[in-house]
Amino acid sequence: MPRRASSKLHPAWFVAVALLAAAAIAGGYLLMTKVNDPYRTINALDVLSYLENANSLRGNTYRVSGTVWNSLGWSPSAGRLFAIEVGAGKPGDLLPLLVPAALNHVNLQKGQRFVFEVEVVEGGILRVKSLRKE
Amino acid sequence: MKRLVCCLFAVSTVALFAQVPDTPAPGTTIIQMPRKSPNTEPSVPLGEEVPVYDPGSEIISWGGKHWNIANQRVFQARFEKYLNAPEQTDADNAEYQKIIRDILELLSPQNATNVKLYQAYVLLFRAAAHDADGGICNAVANAVATAWQAQLNQNQLVMTCEELKKAMQSEQSKALVYNSAQERNVTTSGSSKKGSSGSSGPAVSTHEMRQTFVLKEAAAFQAQIVALQAKREVSALQARIQFQALMLQLFLQRRFQHVVMTCHLYRQLFNEGDSSIKVEGQTKEFFTKDLGMPPTVSTLLSLANEAMRDVREGVNSYLFLSERNEMESATKRLSESFLVGEYMPEIRTLPREKKRLALLYSQKGNRLVNALSVKDYGQAEELIKDMEILAKDFDPTKPRAAIETAKTLSAMHLAKARNAAIAGNNQIVEDALKQAAAIWPRNPSLTEMSGTIFGQSDLQQKALADFDQLLSQGNIRQIFNDKLRFIAAAATNPERQDKLKKVLEDMQTIEASIARAQEFARRGDAAGAWESVERAAKQFPDDVKINQLRGSYSSEAAGFVESLRTAQRLENQGQNGSGLAWYLKAQRHYPLSDFAKEGIERIAKKILPAS
Repeated sequence: MPRRASSKLHPAWFVAVALLAAAAIAGGYLLMTKVNDPYRTINALDVLSYLENANSLRGNTYRVSGTVWNSLGWSPSAGRLFAIEVGAGKPGDLLPLLVPAALNHVNLQKGQRFVFEVEVVEGGILRVKSLRKE
Repeated sequence: MKRLVCCLFAVSTVALFAQVPDTPAPGTTIIQMPRKSPNTEPSVPLGEEVPVYDPGSEIISWGGKHWNIANQRVFQARFEKYLNAPEQTDADNAEYQKIIRDILELLSPQNATNVKLYQAYVLLFRAAAHDADGGICNAVANAVATAWQAQLNQNQLVMTCEELKKAMQSEQSKALVYNSAQERNVTTSGSSKKGSSGSSGPAVSTHEMRQTFVLKEAAAFQAQIVALQAKREVSALQARIQFQALMLQLFLQRRFQHVVMTCHLYRQLFNEGDSSIKVEGQTKEFFTKDLGMPPTVSTLLSLANEAMRDVREGVNSYLFLSERNEMESATKRLSESFLVGEYMPEIRTLPREKKRLALLYSQKGNRLVNALSVKDYGQAEELIKDMEILAKDFDPTKPRAAIETAKTLSAMHLAKARNAAIAGNNQIVEDALKQAAAIWPRNPSLTEMSGTIFGQSDLQQKALADFDQLLSQGNIRQIFNDKLRFIAAAATNPERQDKLKKVLEDMQTIEASIARAQEFARRGDAAGAWESVERAAKQFPDDVKINQLRGSYSSEAAGFVESLRTAQRLENQGQNGSGLAWYLKAQRHYPLSDFAKEGIERIAKKILPAS
């Protein structure tokens, strides 16, 4: 009696297909994210350089990601001054960011994470040009 | 009697000056009298020797000068010398006194004969051989010899006058004879002229010429007799005056035994005529006005006898009073007796041991006078106590009153000086101390107070100098550490008081900061401790203790301090952004930091000017 050929798939194939599918989904997500980030082309601020000598960075625009730590002041004409905690370490460095009056419509609350497009203006002050909630 | 003693006292006192050529003691009042013109000098050799004593003013006038007997330096010296001298009771002195007594016995009026006079004259030479006599008997003997010689000369002059008288009478007889013969010749020639007229003119006869010669001889004898009589009178007066001068000299020398001796001799030598002493001027006034007796030998004799009696009584009084421990009166009696009868045997034979009591009292008395004169009242008080023990009749009322008055006045001025010193009025302090020193120079309280005041003044000046120096160095902590000294020193200096007040307030702030820092440190809050001393250091950068604590706490809170200093540095450089970041870092490190909070607010205001 002739031997009947087996028709079942090896289980390893199922695992491999599942991994590929997951990888495809993740890659797609990342790709979608990258494509949609408007600050992806802006350099991140070198915090150490800023703390050393902010004037040397004057005129440049940087991207800063951080958590609102505290509000330092408010002026109807000049805007709002916030302390933002940046960096991966705990605790991270605190940087003062001036959110101009033009961005008053954006609510910034303590503990919220934002990505800021900042410009180093006179006096080494980081003035927010735009921001986006993370 | 009292008047006589005063006069004797005056005479005796001046005799001290007469015998001892001392110059007037310093401070003695000498008033030069205007000198008399030569035409007012007395006509007799004696007159200005006897002094005049005014008991009211205690001034003796003598030799044209006035002497205040209150100045007793000369007398004190002689009296103390006498009190220290041993008694003269040796055989030589005893023999001398015996000779003197024998002479006086031989010359006494009831024994007055020429033989005894001669015996006394011989004894004078024996007495003169003793030292105690001082050669006075020799002078008396010479005076006697001179008187005798004068008397002898007078006798010779009398005999010469008698011879001249006889010669004159002879010549006068011859003249009478020649006169008779001439008269007979005239009668005879008259009858012959009638017979022989026309003869020559009248011629001088021989008898007439002889009569003229003998009359001239008689006149010459008469003149010689008158001259000799005048010479005799002058010689007698001269001898008398010389003897009187000797008597007065002995009286002034207080040689009363010799005065008695010469008075007796005078009466025997010059027994005819009056016995008045030829004196003029003040000496005459001494006898007539002061003593109320004429200047005669009898007066002199009675004065000498009275003086000797007074000396004997004075010595007896001294012995009696000294036995009763009444040395005040005893010493006075002895000094009076010594003043009058220094050469009297009663004075000379007084035992030295008995005189020592008077010496001790006299020395203390003199020291008391000196102490009071130099205002050494402490010493004077001690002397008064000693003298009260030594003499129960000593009256300390006057010296004690003077001492108490001076002490009270001095204490008043010292109290004034003390109050002025407390008030810081140096001028009044100086004046009051001067017045206190003038009243009682050796006041122990004065020395003590002067030392205290001037010592305090020195300390005060040094403290103020130190204060100024420390203040200029900014070393207010040293001022604070020695604050009690500086507070006392600046008490009288309003300007420095204000500076010191500011220093103490600053130090109060510093100490409060340090206390706060130490409290933070005790709780383990090094950043808070550092911030506390750092704030104080900004105001008082030179305080050593703050700087020490700053160094200590900055190392303990290194991260916070580093963040804060970096923030301040960047802020100062105009880097407000990074500066604010560092302030935030510091605040995160020490959330209670005032410096961080202030820095954040300060920069935030710059960034948000309208906020």
